[in-house]
Amino acid sequence: MKSTKFWVILLAAVLILSLAASLLVLRGRGGACACVYQDGRLTRTVDLSQVSEPFTFTVEGPAGTNTVQVEPGRIRVSATDCPDQVCVHQGWISTGVFPIVCLPNRLVIQIEDSPPDSNLDGVTQ
Amino acid sequence: MKKIPLRRLTYMAVLTAIALTIFMAEAQLPALAPLPGIKLGLANIVTVYAMFALGPGPAGLILLARVLLGSLFAGGMTIFYSLSGGACCYLAMLLLRRLLTPRQMWVCSVLGAMAHNAGQIGAAVLITRTPGVAVYLPVLLVSGILTGLFTGLCAQFVFSRLSRITPPGGRSS
Repeated sequence: MKSTKFWVILLAAVLILSLAASLLVLRGRGGACACVYQDGRLTRTVDLSQVSEPFTFTVEGPAGTNTVQVEPGRIRVSATDCPDQVCVHQGWISTGVFPIVCLPNRLVIQIEDSPPDSNLDGVTQ
Repeated sequence: MKKIPLRRLTYMAVLTAIALTIFMAEAQLPALAPLPGIKLGLANIVTVYAMFALGPGPAGLILLARVLLGSLFAGGMTIFYSLSGGACCYLAMLLLRRLLTPRQMWVCSVLGAMAHNAGQIGAAVLITRTPGVAVYLPVLLVSGILTGLFTGLCAQFVFSRLSRITPPGGRSS
């Protein structure tokens, strides 16, 4: 039987070590990259950390045109032809939590940690 | 395989039902973090409790039944992660059970959760064939230690409260 103190010290040490390691891992994921998908195909990537001047580009889809605005570190759809305007109302995104989706134009703008051909991430469904 | 007395079998079945209910209720909660594999793992309370109250055999059966039935309800590929994680967690707890007193039950849960994370990552490496996913192990370990501590303390609390009810058949090893 080991004393409780032994376990507390052991686990605290492991916790601190893995906390440090995970900070390294999560920070190293920089280089946020906005990926523009149309009909599920990747059509354009914008490295948001490399943007210095704001710019806009347009994306043509079956329901009209989306105007996409890019600023350093963030991206949004500023105008669209489709009736519901959901993607415009979503506003700026800068993290990968919620992608911008325009269903009528089958457009998805997703922020990913690195360009999609990275060998670090895998996806299973 | 020796026959399990009916009262003991019923007790195990009730624990399995509780674990499955907790598992399904937890599956309805939104994800804690935008990383896969991070969850509270509340169903592990039952596994840890069973490990100490009933012994490793019944605990393993309860865990296996919960993982199989849970994956059946949840669907998808998660069964591979659950199975490998569950097996690693079970082995770790099996070894630790001899080293720990019931008052140190939380240690068993924490190390079990860490083993679970290691097993999950192992399965993810095999399934996605990308050894790179192993760099997420430290992230999962942090969550595993914290959630394992929580579920372990819960199990300890349950164990001390239920100690007046002798599990049918007592502890077997």
